[in-house]
Amino acid sequence: MDTSKPAIFVNGGLLPMHVRKRVRTVVQVIGSDRGAVIGKSTDDQQLSVKGTPPSVPLTNFVEVIGIADSEKSIQAEIWTNFGDTFDTYSYNQLCQLANGECQLLFL
Amino acid sequence: MNLTEGAIAKITSGGATAAELKPTLQVTELKQVHTKQPQQSDRFRLVLSDGSHLQQAMLGTQINHLVKDGNLRPCSVVQLIQYTCTTVQGRINFTGSWHFYASWSAYQQPSPMYSNTGQVAKNDAPPRLMPISALNPYQGRWTIKARVTAKGELRHYNNPRGNGKVFSFDLLDSDGGEIKVTCFNAVADQFYHQIEAGKVYLISRGNLKPAQKNFNHLRNDLEVFLESTSIVQPCFEDDSVIPRQQFNFRSISEVEGMDNNNVVDIIGMVSSITPAASIMRKNGTETQKRTLQLKDMSGRSVEFTLWGSFCNAEGQRLQNMCDSGGFPVLAVKSGRVSDFNGKAVGTISTSQLFIDTDFPEARRLKEWFEKEGRNVPSLSISREMSSVGRADVPKTISQLKDERLGTSETPDWVTVNATVIFIKADNFCYTACPLMSGDRPCNKKVKNNGDGKWRCEKCDQSMDECDYRYILQFQIQDHTSITWVTAFQESGEDLNFSKYEKQDDESFSKIVRQVLFSKSVFKLKVKEETFSDEQRVKSTVVRAEKANYSSQSKFLLDMMEKFKSGNSAPVASNTESTYPNSGANSIGIESSGRPCGPLGSNQGGNKGYIARKFGSLPCEVGQHGNQYSTETNIALGFLHLLFLVTAVVLLAIPQQIALVS
Repeated sequence: MDTSKPAIFVNGGLLPMHVRKRVRTVVQVIGSDRGAVIGKSTDDQQLSVKGTPPSVPLTNFVEVIGIADSEKSIQAEIWTNFGDTFDTYSYNQLCQLANGECQLLFL
Repeated sequence: MNLTEGAIAKITSGGATAAELKPTLQVTELKQVHTKQPQQSDRFRLVLSDGSHLQQAMLGTQINHLVKDGNLRPCSVVQLIQYTCTTVQGRINFTGSWHFYASWSAYQQPSPMYSNTGQVAKNDAPPRLMPISALNPYQGRWTIKARVTAKGELRHYNNPRGNGKVFSFDLLDSDGGEIKVTCFNAVADQFYHQIEAGKVYLISRGNLKPAQKNFNHLRNDLEVFLESTSIVQPCFEDDSVIPRQQFNFRSISEVEGMDNNNVVDIIGMVSSITPAASIMRKNGTETQKRTLQLKDMSGRSVEFTLWGSFCNAEGQRLQNMCDSGGFPVLAVKSGRVSDFNGKAVGTISTSQLFIDTDFPEARRLKEWFEKEGRNVPSLSISREMSSVGRADVPKTISQLKDERLGTSETPDWVTVNATVIFIKADNFCYTACPLMSGDRPCNKKVKNNGDGKWRCEKCDQSMDECDYRYILQFQIQDHTSITWVTAFQESGEDLNFSKYEKQDDESFSKIVRQVLFSKSVFKLKVKEETFSDEQRVKSTVVRAEKANYSSQSKFLLDMMEKFKSGNSAPVASNTESTYPNSGANSIGIESSGRPCGPLGSNQGGNKGYIARKFGSLPCEVGQHGNQYSTETNIALGFLHLLFLVTAVVLLAIPQQIALVS
């Protein structure tokens, strides 16, 4: 596993804390807008994901890994389809733990 | 307050009955009678005076407590409300219930005690009817008119005193009194065919003895034993006065507080029922059982088990009704409370089941169900058989070893969340006997006779073709430890080992590869067995289910919450949390010969395996047949793994967090 470029788990609320850093998050695709994909984060905030999505069609939930270029958008390098159903609650809890108590475990 | 002078003379000469005369008398003497049999309750003999005559009397056992409390003493003045007068060996007895006026000091308000309704029999008249509740061992000749509510089987028994047969039936009379009647040997033969359940009989000249509570669950301290001189007469009139059945329904929430082995009547709506299953009894015989859930107005539900013949008759009927969408009302007479898995109720040989009958309680239940009960979830006082397994909380593999599960007399059933690590490829199946024994195939290993036939020792037969059944041995591992388990055909199929059709190495390896490293929830039966002088704990997979990452993640989150709120000190071992109990020794660094390595890299290995799949769409991972798509599955698996790591490290070795950073 390539650990040279670690990405921080974020949700909508935590993204502002890590602007210009490499982040990862799971969003629910709601639509696309001028080349960017609009997604709903696991804490129900709207995020915009720029970059080139893969040639395969996106499923409902997608994980994106990339640099956060603003408080509400990510420049994604890696896109991964996570399927049509996803446990957003658990993921949200994970984000909070990864940024809070268990920070040391993750980075 | 005056004593009723002349009352005694009147009563003893037959001039007055309890209905007409309620005399006021004084207790001049009170003595305890020593009974020969220890189980019988105390009897008190007293002498009553009406001012002119003295009369001996026996106190009815129902009001013994008056003496024991100290309320009834010599010189107490009492008023007889309910009594019977009989001649026993020339003496006359009063029994029954009394009102009494205070003790000897002052005349106070009468405190109403037990008041019994019913008729009173006069002794010297031709035998008139008595209520069952008034029967007592001092009664000379008595006759009762009652309906048979339950008729037992003619049972043969063998005890150190010899062989015999016994037959018993329960009676219910118009006042609601119940009593059990038993006959032995020749008497049993005499009456067995005369007695029909549901019919009314006049019974007299039986012996009254104390009831044996082990076999008798009716509310009566006495039992009737019939002799060859006893009289049993069918009664054809007055049929409607005597109820057909009497219940003492308790609500399910009351059952929760009852002791084990209590016998109770309950009524409830059947919300679910399972198909009949075979269970091996302790003595080696097999029996059928079905379980169903009963709900009632107390907002509780209980697991009710049908054993033996109830399974097939009533059980099947209930199953049909439930399958077609109905919710039948089940009334149970004489169910036994057990404390298996919380509190549960089961049938016993004397139980009776009534489905959808017209009792007022049944009607009330149906109304409640229609209005609200249908949608209100009820709290179960039995531990639910959830998909996680009989054990509520999953255990870790190291707990299997630490807690020495399986070493007690009965096997232990545990649930573990683990991954299949290694599957032994040789001897993965055996030749099995396909013959049916009962309603299950024999499945015993058959030996090759040498002449092309297969021989089964248990069925004692030879056959041309045999079944091939899986006997898979593989290792499962979780974050704590690793262990070998065995799975047979059915659980093998759970793991996606399809039925072995023909010799096909390639597809076999394909199947093996699919199953390897899949995470499942295993329900294991753990038992210690002796293999040529060696004690070994063997685990058999009873059921395997694909792990539901979502629920497991939530479970881990819950545990973390609990830990956090518990205390900040390490090892907050509350009884529900299983993971930390293994203590500060190994996490995955089990010295079982398989180098698991330090925590990070082991989990990293798994993550790596999954991460490799992330780049391209993981189409080739295979069909797992669960509700999530493969990508979701993997995503959740990844998520779950992260939680696992977090939880484990957080909970088990807090001080090592410093090392990791």
